[in-house]
Amino acid sequence: MNSLLARFPVRLLIGLAAPALLIGWWQWQASAHIVSFAPPAAVGSALVEMLRSGDLLRDTLSTLARAFTGLAIGAPLGVALGIAMGIWKPVDRVLGPLLHALRQVPMIGWLPLMGLWFGVGEGTELIVVSMSAFFPSMLNSHAGVAEVERRYLEVGSILRFGTVQRIRFILLPAAMPLVLTGITQALAFAWIATIGTELLTGAGSGLGVAMGQAQMQQRLDVMLVVIGATAALGFVINHLFRRLRRSALRWQPSLP
Amino acid sequence: MASRAADFPVAGGAGAGFRFRLPPVGAVVPLVALLMAWQIACLTGLFPPQVLVPPSGVARALVDMTQSGELQRHVGDSLFRLTVGFAIGAVAGMAFGAVIALSRLAEAALSPLFMTLWQVPVIAFVPMMVMFLGIDEPFKLAVVAIAAFFPMALATFDGIRGVPRNWFEVAKVYRLRLPQLIRRILLPATVPAVLTGLRVSLTRAWVVLVAAELLAADSGIGQMMEMGRQLFQIDVVLAGVMVSGLIGFLLDRGARWVESRATRWRAA
Amino acid sequence: MTPYPHAREDRLSAKTGRGELIVSDLNKSFTINGQPRRILDNINLTVRPGEFVSIVGASGCGKSTLLRLIVGLDTEYSGELRLDGERIATTSLDRGIVFQDHRLFPWMTLEQNIELALLNTDTPRARRAQIVADHIALVNLKGFEKAYPHQLSGGMAQRAAIARALVTEPRLLLLDEPLGALDALTRVHVQSELQRIWMAQRSTMVMVTHDVEEALYLGDRVIVMSPNPGRIRRIVEVDLPHPRDRRSPLLHRLKDEILAELTSGADADGDAGNLVHLPSREAR
Repeated sequence: MNSLLARFPVRLLIGLAAPALLIGWWQWQASAHIVSFAPPAAVGSALVEMLRSGDLLRDTLSTLARAFTGLAIGAPLGVALGIAMGIWKPVDRVLGPLLHALRQVPMIGWLPLMGLWFGVGEGTELIVVSMSAFFPSMLNSHAGVAEVERRYLEVGSILRFGTVQRIRFILLPAAMPLVLTGITQALAFAWIATIGTELLTGAGSGLGVAMGQAQMQQRLDVMLVVIGATAALGFVINHLFRRLRRSALRWQPSLP
Repeated sequence: MASRAADFPVAGGAGAGFRFRLPPVGAVVPLVALLMAWQIACLTGLFPPQVLVPPSGVARALVDMTQSGELQRHVGDSLFRLTVGFAIGAVAGMAFGAVIALSRLAEAALSPLFMTLWQVPVIAFVPMMVMFLGIDEPFKLAVVAIAAFFPMALATFDGIRGVPRNWFEVAKVYRLRLPQLIRRILLPATVPAVLTGLRVSLTRAWVVLVAAELLAADSGIGQMMEMGRQLFQIDVVLAGVMVSGLIGFLLDRGARWVESRATRWRAA
Repeated sequence: MTPYPHAREDRLSAKTGRGELIVSDLNKSFTINGQPRRILDNINLTVRPGEFVSIVGASGCGKSTLLRLIVGLDTEYSGELRLDGERIATTSLDRGIVFQDHRLFPWMTLEQNIELALLNTDTPRARRAQIVADHIALVNLKGFEKAYPHQLSGGMAQRAAIARALVTEPRLLLLDEPLGALDALTRVHVQSELQRIWMAQRSTMVMVTHDVEEALYLGDRVIVMSPNPGRIRRIVEVDLPHPRDRRSPLLHRLKDEILAELTSGADADGDAGNLVHLPSREAR
């Protein structure tokens, strides 16, 4: 049995069984009664239609732009602050409690407050997305610097490193794995926050906006295309970041 | 003998690791300072009350809402959804994770679909679920359950697959029977990973629930904030931010506490 | 046959000191659970320039603490610690150290690790690459310049650490159980290497070790320490020229003597903590 399972075609066949069953059930449901239950084939035509009209491309691009803008704002701030807090205890003592208090609020929970302050729109969405990217970057960078092994710092002391040398040659490279973990997490969080804020504010274009509209128009086919696009993009971006991380950390013996 | 104690710091100071540690005074000072600065900024009229109410205003809103019973209703509804939804999702996740970890056939059959769905942010399922379930209670329970299901299943899977092979060999040497094997080795060895999964999925479920309530609900913390926004009640919104933050914090701390209690045998 | 690192004589004549370490009336205490505990008790020792001194002793005799004080990582002590007459108050490039764990930075190649040690020396930039290459050759690691530490075997990494410690041409090199984590065969090999390097360099070296044989094989003198608190129990002169033959009867006789001394000491102090007590059958 196990040796049979080791063969790729067998695995593939078994792995496809569950999705096939799901689709079969869905087809049956769709043909049976419920109106909003578009049949599986409709998803294909919806995809073609959305590709042809350019809607899917437009929504994807605006979601990507939002997520990466938020990442570009939140992650550098988070990394810088996290590292500063790890190196200089007073910074940690002053900012730490505040940041840890803010961190407890579910990120999307900031949306109503930001909406009140800045109006419902692009600015508010960007703030929430940036905050989502900020916290994981900050926390991981902080941990990365704070957990640098003492024995390496002792080597720095023996080699008479000054503060700048200690930061450049020991603290930063030693913290790099966690900093990059933080940025990878920040990306995932920013991606989710982007979809969430788009869905909630429903302004402009974006995959989240498209989802909200599909829900209101009861278009399951469109909805599934958008969900599929979200999943595929999330997967691709995540994969790319992992590869980047791997190549940046060649010096590590084995990667988790 | 004193030297031994110094060389091998054994579990000294009973209970040190699993007690709520009050934050040191140093951590409280900046927060108090911030609250004071906030209060003063509001009193001096730097921010008009439509933009920012002072902490005292937020406190008053909290007191008012508590007296009217409104706050309790929102918090109660949110926590009810969290508890029921999480229980369903976590149990299902554990069962699913255990099945695909223990059976190669189940793994081959189910994990591709699981891994594909895992790529989708839970929040992206929300509109589809609104389509099918409406915006009533089943929808919110389902959202929480799904949010809890995935991390829980993955943690359980990793936990079981992560049990070192050697331990099974030890079991073989001592001729443990299957029930004993499960009780003595498999369960204790899996507990740490499962508990970590529980903590992660609990906090995640909370975040998703607040988002779902923001989108569609007639009660709950998220809805309280959203209503506050629509009515320009900044004090209510701020109170909601604080309460949701506090609940998130307590959930995380509580789960960590359980985690450290249950895994005392592990080296720190 | 081995490349001598560049013009050693220049440096010796240029610098005042030649690596004479004087330890006098050294005391060191730690506070453990609120109680002060004496780790080193009245240590007196003079290490001659160019000498190789080994220190052996049971765990907890403070021998590693002694090295941390000499290298300047720990500066709280009473008594005197002087290198060439200068009181030791902090770390210095005149004093190098090799730890039991190699402590090469994992994010740098072997070459970069060694060159980093030259960062705060006045060595001209143009000559650094050559000096690094010389030292890599000295420890027989040619061809591994671009390797990351995790790609080196334990023995290779430890030799690289020795090269890093030597590249600043310290007047005093401290070795804190440098071979403690190596397997027995590699250990013997690196011991011979260390002897060869020392003979090539002739800087003063102080090595702490658990291994009496190793201490005798390398040391001009062997300091035997006893624990609780750490004291010098005996100093053994090893009157044999380098390079030495491991099979020398003198080394074996001295080894038996020192081992007898170390084990009798443990009994006398009533330190039975190293023994495993098996529960008697009756108790079950």
